[in-house]
Amino acid sequence: MLGFLVRKVARSAAVLVVVSFATFLLIYGNGPGIARNVLGGSISLATDAQVHAEMVKLGLDRPIVVQYGSWVNGVLTGNLQDSFFTGQPVTSTLVNRVPVTLSVTGLTLLLTIVFSVLMGVAAAVYGGWVDRLVQLLAVLGGAVPSFIVAIGLVFALAVDIRLFPATGYVSPSQSVSQWAQSLVLPVVALLVGSVGSAASQFRGAVADALEQAYVRTLRARGIAERYIILRHVLRNAAGPGLTVLSLQTIALIGGVVVIEQVFALPGMGQLATNAAEQGDVPVVMGSVLVMIVVVLVVNVLTDVATAFVNPKSKLL
Amino acid sequence: MLGTRLRTLRTLATLVPLTLAGTEVTSAAPVSSHAAAGSTLTIALPNDITGWGPDQAQGNYQAWPFEAVYDSLVRCTVSNAVVPGLATSWTFNPRHTVFTAHIRPGMVFSDGTPVNAAAVKANYSRDQKLPTGGGYWTGLTFTTPDPMTIVVTSAKPDPAMPVVNLCTNGIASPKYLASGKLNTAPVGSGPYTLEASATTPGSVYTLVKNPGNWDAKAFPFNTIVMKVIGSPTAIINALKTGQLDGAPVPQNLYNETIASGLKLVALPGETTRLLITDHLGKIVPALGNVNVRRAMNMVFDKSAIAKALYQGHATPTDQIPPPTADAYSKGLKDPYPYNIAAAKALMAKAGYANGFSVDMPFYAGVGMDSLFPVVIQQLGLINIKVHEVTLTGPNAISELLSGKYPLLMWPLGNYGNTLSDIAQAILQPSIWNVEHQPDATIQSLYTKMLNSTTTAQYKANLQAIYRYTIDQAWFVPIVYQNVYFAYNPKTVSIPAVSDSQYLNPLLWDFRLP
Repeated sequence: MLGFLVRKVARSAAVLVVVSFATFLLIYGNGPGIARNVLGGSISLATDAQVHAEMVKLGLDRPIVVQYGSWVNGVLTGNLQDSFFTGQPVTSTLVNRVPVTLSVTGLTLLLTIVFSVLMGVAAAVYGGWVDRLVQLLAVLGGAVPSFIVAIGLVFALAVDIRLFPATGYVSPSQSVSQWAQSLVLPVVALLVGSVGSAASQFRGAVADALEQAYVRTLRARGIAERYIILRHVLRNAAGPGLTVLSLQTIALIGGVVVIEQVFALPGMGQLATNAAEQGDVPVVMGSVLVMIVVVLVVNVLTDVATAFVNPKSKLL
Repeated sequence: MLGTRLRTLRTLATLVPLTLAGTEVTSAAPVSSHAAAGSTLTIALPNDITGWGPDQAQGNYQAWPFEAVYDSLVRCTVSNAVVPGLATSWTFNPRHTVFTAHIRPGMVFSDGTPVNAAAVKANYSRDQKLPTGGGYWTGLTFTTPDPMTIVVTSAKPDPAMPVVNLCTNGIASPKYLASGKLNTAPVGSGPYTLEASATTPGSVYTLVKNPGNWDAKAFPFNTIVMKVIGSPTAIINALKTGQLDGAPVPQNLYNETIASGLKLVALPGETTRLLITDHLGKIVPALGNVNVRRAMNMVFDKSAIAKALYQGHATPTDQIPPPTADAYSKGLKDPYPYNIAAAKALMAKAGYANGFSVDMPFYAGVGMDSLFPVVIQQLGLINIKVHEVTLTGPNAISELLSGKYPLLMWPLGNYGNTLSDIAQAILQPSIWNVEHQPDATIQSLYTKMLNSTTTAQYKANLQAIYRYTIDQAWFVPIVYQNVYFAYNPKTVSIPAVSDSQYLNPLLWDFRLP
């Protein structure tokens, strides 16, 4: 397992380098444009000399590979440069933003796992109307965009009935109960879309596993159905489900951008969007780095979990 | 504002009632009450600020944080009358070249350094060197004959100096400016200071009252919380649920805002117009013909555009300045009423019955998306084939202003100070006069205006400049778009708006309910 883990981490590191370099190239490629944007905002009256001076000040006059190397060096020492516009260290900006997004996506993912396993297993085991209901919910959840659900939830449970706050985020260090309250609606909005497809996947995998010969054998030996499902069937059905969950996580990172806008959550999505609109390239690069790392970590964890439940996958 | 002899002005700010500067709209349904009305005001910033240097005040709503933490030398009312700020008294010589201001004693910046003439000079000298100065500080010099007197001298007559330079620029501590660390927190002498412990950059800025400020009593709220909320949906929801006391709202949320029991202030905003800058026909020969430009003015049914495209949230106009501006010619009949046949006749008279082609840049996100196809369609009726060129990316604005496109459309100005509009769009070096072609008549009229000896003469000469641009059809004014600000009447009131640009309430316009 250790060798397997090392191989996965090494591959992820290689992917990180390739993707980050390609992103850096795209984002930092237009040095004069970046400098002019920093100097003048939307209407720049800066002369070419002023633009060049700003480029030198920001280090944008160096070859792109040198700039990338400098950036990587900063990453390794925890310095992601400063925002070109606010002067705030990107690291400290991310420190404020990442917990917000991780709170939303982390809770959503956790609840997705719980609900999708429960619903998938119930649908496969009981069949009938339970199965049809789960499939219907899967279709509906996938068909309705999360921001529509979010807006509907806000109107129903925040504006009409003042059960939850309509906007904003409260840090758990300020108040755990208010933190939880501020996350209910955003998490539910994301959950509606993510549970359905994952539950469908688990349902299919569990249904397949229940038809296998070893299940018939276990039943014939008088083993309790619950034990068969929890100890054997779920383990064998987990592989495809874990893969879907890792894909869900990646989709969540993209979907959370819109949810953060609807609920005015000061998270990564909002940060990345605003920075991209403004042309604040260090912040964009820092945001992209965080997202790449999250995706890679999720992939590695998924592979490790899959290897745990299905040792044959370690050969890949 | 201008007279032969300006003496000390110790007038109170004369705020134009909302019926002129803005229209208040009400409804009857209740909204949430905010906790402890009068103590905390919570408002939304649609976009984050980009730093705390006084020059980084972006204008419009983004100026609120700067209005909170910085004082300016003087303030300007909605009609551009100059009233006290850091300065308690001033003189402006008849030639409009020397502005002498006397600074009130005893004020300090939040870092403890004194507010004096040297501090003001340091700020203005810095503003002069910044690339974003826009040329407004060109030719100005600053002297301090005594510690509490600043003299701003212009090489040429500059009647707009108080409004363009002195009312708008905040004054920060020179020590703070010299540190270069202008992005994390401000150091000013304004009515509020930044509460760092309750501030998360990019998300929420908390400002607490500075009791030592000279104008502290004019600000009734002890704390102002500014939340950065970009989504109009989130803004309206926060207003409805009492999480916000006030925020700008887009036109498409007008009905919902009213139905929620909130009040709205409607401001005329900017003038959306075509700018025909190739008056000499060097780029597109046809545009050099005045009859072609006049014909272009006659193909737009502005009332229908205001009603259909803007759902009534815009006012059709045939003049650039707003009706309350000195430059507006009252009683001037629209010389270019909507008349396609007459427009075609003018094109034929100009020798362009078969029309011509012209490239026109389109820049998304400034409220012209629905109007642009209408412009193309209508100009097409007189055989002007507009080729749309979409501009995007960081160089889009530079390209827009480069002179490559002699025909532009943009929501500009509507400045209460119409001298800014002249400086920005009419004079040869103006940023929006992108071809920078000389015009002897304009120069002559401008000089005459600057040399006016009475207010009446000044206004007449100012109007003459705009009448000339109307006669020569330099622009095709279309509509003033309404800009809305929504607020909870139970927690805040806005009895008048003092923004001379008619874009938003200023921080000192917010009052207790």
